[in-house]
Amino acid sequence: MSRAGSEYRVSFPHMGNYTVPIVTLASMLDCEIMPPPKMTRRTLELGARYSPEFVCIPFKYNLGNYIEALDQGANLLFQAGGGCRFGYYGEVQEAILQDLGYEFEMVLLAGGFGVLEHYNKFKSRNPRLNMVRAIRHYRLAFRQTRALDRIEDFARRNAGFEVEEGAFDSAFDRFVGELAETRSIADVERVEAAYTEELRSIPVERPEGLLRVGIVGELYVLMEPFSNFFIERELARRGVEVHRYVNVSNMVDHGGRNKNRHLREIIGIADPYLRYHIGADGTESVATTNRLRQEGFDGVLHLKPFGCMPEVNAMSALQRLSREHTFPVLFISFDSQTSETGLATRLDAFCDMLRMRKRRLGA
Amino acid sequence: MNRLIATVGLPRSLLFYKYRVLWATFFEQLDVATVESPPSNRAILERGIDLAVDETCLPLKMFLGHVETLRDKVDHILVPRVVTLTKRETACVKFWASFDVARNVIEGVDLIEYNVDVANGIHERDELCRLGRRFVDDKRRVRRAYDVAHAAYREHAHRIAGEQDAILDRPGAKVLVVGHGYNLHDELLGKPLIRILEQQGVHVVCSELADTHLARKLAARISTDIPWTYNKELLGSVELYRERVDGIVFLVTFPCGPDSLMTELCMRRLKDVPAITIVLDELQGEAGLKTRLESFVDLLKAGKRAGGGAA
Repeated sequence: MSRAGSEYRVSFPHMGNYTVPIVTLASMLDCEIMPPPKMTRRTLELGARYSPEFVCIPFKYNLGNYIEALDQGANLLFQAGGGCRFGYYGEVQEAILQDLGYEFEMVLLAGGFGVLEHYNKFKSRNPRLNMVRAIRHYRLAFRQTRALDRIEDFARRNAGFEVEEGAFDSAFDRFVGELAETRSIADVERVEAAYTEELRSIPVERPEGLLRVGIVGELYVLMEPFSNFFIERELARRGVEVHRYVNVSNMVDHGGRNKNRHLREIIGIADPYLRYHIGADGTESVATTNRLRQEGFDGVLHLKPFGCMPEVNAMSALQRLSREHTFPVLFISFDSQTSETGLATRLDAFCDMLRMRKRRLGA
Repeated sequence: MNRLIATVGLPRSLLFYKYRVLWATFFEQLDVATVESPPSNRAILERGIDLAVDETCLPLKMFLGHVETLRDKVDHILVPRVVTLTKRETACVKFWASFDVARNVIEGVDLIEYNVDVANGIHERDELCRLGRRFVDDKRRVRRAYDVAHAAYREHAHRIAGEQDAILDRPGAKVLVVGHGYNLHDELLGKPLIRILEQQGVHVVCSELADTHLARKLAARISTDIPWTYNKELLGSVELYRERVDGIVFLVTFPCGPDSLMTELCMRRLKDVPAITIVLDELQGEAGLKTRLESFVDLLKAGKRAGGGAA
């Protein structure tokens, strides 16, 4: 990739496997791209140390990513924002990092994924950029995102039943590696087709009466596996078929022009527990849970950062739904104190409970 | 002869402190009686805590307690939904959801709502009039009731803001207390704090701004991106008053996201005024609060004697 004429070294917060499409977008800037170092506990410790006390955990992870990226020499940071207070993080994070003495520029992409809105922000950092090229990058990033989400979805549903342990993880890692090398939509299609084939050929043994569980909740802790202690892998290890509907493809499909129609649709599905949209992903959490209950799923896990208001609001509806239909929902909050062992114990207990319930209902 | 056609309960919490005059006047014009829940007390909060999901913020817990308090005392309970008041801003999501949350956790009460979502073309006037027609089937009369109520509301808001301004002209130490009306004026949350400050001999100015256009313009000097309408009003008051007060107290309730971000930004950008943040939670005791406020006021007074503004 060319980096002629630019002093920028660009970085951004981690978001699960979406580093690939984010790099595709960032490469519009014709400068060096340096994703932050791999997330560790230290990332969270750094972020938490300089964050407001009860800001939610995605803020802390993002800030930790920025600090580690700046320490490596990054000087242009991106913040994408989201549908809740996330959309406001950038300004506060910028002030915190400035007070820490870092020199950098920050680009806020709050408010969705509109090509036109973002184009000017990219253009001002790279005068050589033109619209045709920007659109090409966006289309490629979208296509990569869709491939990622489809392949990941398949792996999520099947990894729990692989005959050879680690087969799905290893294939998925290779897939992400090859996806990162794609430069055209045709490339992405080829890689996706090859890995769809490969994943389908991995031997699986699906037992009778397996557990089907949905994961709903706040998008960051759903999509960044480090932040949820790789909960999907943990569930798979316990022989559970895992379903998740919150991903970037769906966010794009349900955003923009389609937003209001989609909202009406999910409020309908969430009836009688909601009459209005309750903010960010909250409505989606209630609607998905109600749908999965009707489809005969065995249970739902609801994940959120501690204090996440849209999801706390959703919990009032989810608790009522769970009570009225005796439908199992496990609520998990993540903050900087959450312990991995505590979580493992809760998952064990939840899965045991689901198995007992299934036997009882089956008898 | 009793002309009243129904009784509507107004929970003394959240938007009550902003729109009390609007609601009371509107229903009065329609011959609908209103009953206000009593000022907050420990029992109301305990009820709210029992009803709410653990991680719910303190003001919303208090609100649920107030709704529950009105059960069996009224025919309907008003729980408005406020999403957006302008195209580019938003209200905290608890105002989006309080109606559905209350519906899910409190059974056997008839909640009535009106919905304000200006960004999606849903306006307060149309929605309150729709609600009014449930009681009075006369479009023109309901519309007139709204116009009277709205005028009363505007007048009241300007009077309160004028009173704040008058306090600033008094001699002696002055402290600006920045917080949402539903926290500042709550008998159990903000009132004790304001009383302690007043006992220390300082004049307390509350972050009330009637002129929302002015608030928005002023707020932009501190934060260009903050999306929450009600927080813009708080920031606006900080910008308007900070040079005329000796110190600022940020009153935040646990675990408010918007306030925590706003306070963080203020603390980092306003270094010329002494400021502290007081975080209230449901276990709050007055002793610790008193000690902190006393030492803060001592600091301000020492700074004032020394002739400097900053401490």
